Amino acid sequence: MTVGSAVLSILVFPGFLFLVAFGLAGEFVDRKLYARLQNRQGPPWYQPLADFLKLLGKENVIPEDADRPIFRLAPVFALAATIAAILYIPLWSTTSVLPFEGDLIVVLYLLVIPTVAFFLGGWTSRSVFATIGAFRAITQVFAYEIPLFVALLAPALLANTWSISGIAAYYGSHPWMWLVNLLGFGVALVSLLGKLEKVPFDTPEAETEIVAGSFTEYSGRRLAFFRLAIDCEAIVGASLVAAVFLPFGLGLPPVLGILVYLAKVLLILGTLALLRTLFARLRIDQMVHFCWSVVAPIAFLQILINLVVRELI
Amino acid sequence: MSEAEALVDQLVAAFPALTGRVTVQRAKRVWIDVDRQAFPEVFRRLAKDLGFEVFCMITGLDEGADLGLIYHLARNDGLMANVKTRCPKGESMQTITSIFPGGGIYERELIDLLGAHIEGLPEGARYPLPDNWPKDEHPLLKDWKPKDKGAQDA
Amino acid sequence: MPDKKRTVRVPIGPQHPALKEPESFMVDLQGEKISSVALRLGYNHRGIEKGCEERTYMQDLYLVERVCGICSHSHATAFIQAVEEIAGLEIPRRAKYIRTLIAELERVHSHLLWLGVAGHEIGFDTLLMYSWRDRELVMDLFAELTGNRVNYAMNTLGGVRRDIAAEQFPHIQKIVDTLEERTKYYIELAMTEETLAQRLSGVGYLSKEDAVRLGAVGPTSRASGADRDTRRDDPYAAYDELDFKVITDDRCDVLGRAVVRLGELMQSYSMIRQILKQMPEGPITVKAPLKIPAGEAVSRYEAPRGEDVHYVRANGTDKPERVKVRAPTLANTQSVAKMLEDGYLADLPIVVAAIDPCFSCTDRTIAVQGNGDSKTMGWEELVQYGVRWYRDRGVDPSRIKVRGDESA
Repeated sequence: MTVGSAVLSILVFPGFLFLVAFGLAGEFVDRKLYARLQNRQGPPWYQPLADFLKLLGKENVIPEDADRPIFRLAPVFALAATIAAILYIPLWSTTSVLPFEGDLIVVLYLLVIPTVAFFLGGWTSRSVFATIGAFRAITQVFAYEIPLFVALLAPALLANTWSISGIAAYYGSHPWMWLVNLLGFGVALVSLLGKLEKVPFDTPEAETEIVAGSFTEYSGRRLAFFRLAIDCEAIVGASLVAAVFLPFGLGLPPVLGILVYLAKVLLILGTLALLRTLFARLRIDQMVHFCWSVVAPIAFLQILINLVVRELI
Repeated sequence: MSEAEALVDQLVAAFPALTGRVTVQRAKRVWIDVDRQAFPEVFRRLAKDLGFEVFCMITGLDEGADLGLIYHLARNDGLMANVKTRCPKGESMQTITSIFPGGGIYERELIDLLGAHIEGLPEGARYPLPDNWPKDEHPLLKDWKPKDKGAQDA
Repeated sequence: MPDKKRTVRVPIGPQHPALKEPESFMVDLQGEKISSVALRLGYNHRGIEKGCEERTYMQDLYLVERVCGICSHSHATAFIQAVEEIAGLEIPRRAKYIRTLIAELERVHSHLLWLGVAGHEIGFDTLLMYSWRDRELVMDLFAELTGNRVNYAMNTLGGVRRDIAAEQFPHIQKIVDTLEERTKYYIELAMTEETLAQRLSGVGYLSKEDAVRLGAVGPTSRASGADRDTRRDDPYAAYDELDFKVITDDRCDVLGRAVVRLGELMQSYSMIRQILKQMPEGPITVKAPLKIPAGEAVSRYEAPRGEDVHYVRANGTDKPERVKVRAPTLANTQSVAKMLEDGYLADLPIVVAAIDPCFSCTDRTIAVQGNGDSKTMGWEELVQYGVRWYRDRGVDPSRIKVRGDESA
């Protein structure tokens, strides 16, 4: 890979520009669908972009007691980590921009960074609401992250590789094997709800209790970057789930392949929007209990199934 | 005999001093006029023995030299007993929170708005006036007028 | 013994997204659990009781209607009933029926509003959107029947201000049918939806003994098993001619309060149908004097949130000597601390919402600024004032600086 094409990959496609544009579009799809499901009109297509631009122009307020460097850097960390993660995920073909053996683990860790950034941002802003939100965010990580790891490792076991590109290639050549991983797909969707802090797992930013959680003290462009990071995280998370669990149309020509990829991600985002329409917010203790007593066992069951299947074939 | 009349008989039997001071306004309304000294006993009897377990509110009235107080009680059958008493301004009434713990807020209202003195009220935030409201201004007294009313109208 | 170091003090209010009106809960937290709550009310004191003494009875009627935006008809009716009792006025039967019709429609719109707010407090915004959409039907009906969506001003001394034509009955009937269908769906939802049950069941427990002891009223007390309802126990308007059940529940928790309100909605629909069927012919007002003879009366009224109690004393002029208003929320807030005992912070919004609080009703009276110490505050000063206010109460919020200071 030449330096030129690497820069292009990082800054334009599938890096920064593409991810930001798709992220904002994804937010629109989520909000519009959520609104229509609730019998509301919903926002126009440019609303997420308008919100972003408006926030950029707003006043920046930093609490005096805050740890300034971390408070300022947290949103940047969150955004940078998500953009880095997309480079390791195959989107419309069976190879990513920078594939290597073990990139699955790297992506999973990169995707924890935004949550850690939320925690650090909330913790360092020294407001009671932000502190409680930060604590809830970090408590929640331990609840959904393990099931998510386990659910993603199960397909990897079957494909016998730690590379997402390798997994995609394996399932691309064994088209029906994806049916084995359906339980894991469900677990991954639920964990993704937790990762993106959406209802029923939005306790870290439950507005009726703790105002805006970790983001309470954020304003202006830092808040804008946090929100953008969440939008991008949604796309990256959905892309990862699509690459591992929905291995269709990987051999198609670029334009058609990209369309199939977009459709898969939007399908996942749509499912998430549907799920958050259906439920009430769980309390943090109920959330942790649910993840450990229901979601985690299902994820381990998936591992067991895949081990058995691997022995059989 | 209606419930209201039965209540009158019960009260007069227990407190002969109340003869002629318990009146029935209509089927569900009984008014009891009682002296300040006898009030705690009559009130306790109503609440504890005669079934008036619903405490509605306290109305405070500025009656010149006295503060008029009406304690509104109700029974589950809908009968309402309104116990009237008077307390000279500057003297204090016993709290009713030992019988109705929820009654404290109405007593605080009397303190803030009418300058009543209540004895035995547990510590707590004032109600309903703001914390920086002067202690000696009680808006519901008849001689209290908003001071800068003209300034507001202007 | 609570460990001081591990206690976090969280100010919920006077301004907070969970609260639709200003009031203040100072919550001490041990982790996610509440160890104590201090309540402060009074932020909405507007001087209505004092104002009533300076206005005529007809003016007071409209002033009292503005005690609360949601149960405006309740306060106006409770007040006017007391005045009519003092004046010895017997209002026509048709007027009683119209008052009752508006009262029950108000209960429908208030309970639907509550359902939505409850949904929002537990993060179930879909329920909020659905029930408020349905509530629009009632609001539009109010506009059609009375000329206004809120503060309908239907009452007048000696009857009601507007008649309802027989041609409007089918439309009311149709709306009631639609709402009944939707309410059935919400009842099913409340009984079967898993996350809803998890968030509501067992939360905000208030035993019957405590409900009675602390003076809870309305749906809050009925959900704790106290069987009382002013409409049945001390009937006013046309309630003695209507057939209805008092809904009670022995769950004693937030779910019970929801079930009671949903059940009351179904009763209200049935009452509205009866009213439309039995509406008597005749005049809607009797002639009323401007000056009310000296006397006093207490009026009780079962508002959607609980019992309104109004006391009026007349002195023979056209202005009352004293008007005293007791709104249901004041009675119910006394139980909130009990309900929150050992609860979670996450449950605070729904527990508070479950009494269907209306703090404007509760506070009623700050007259005009008392001693001329009002002044204009600049932004800086306002920020400083806010910070000081909280610090005096043991909370140290982040000392916020405005941009410009950032570089410093």
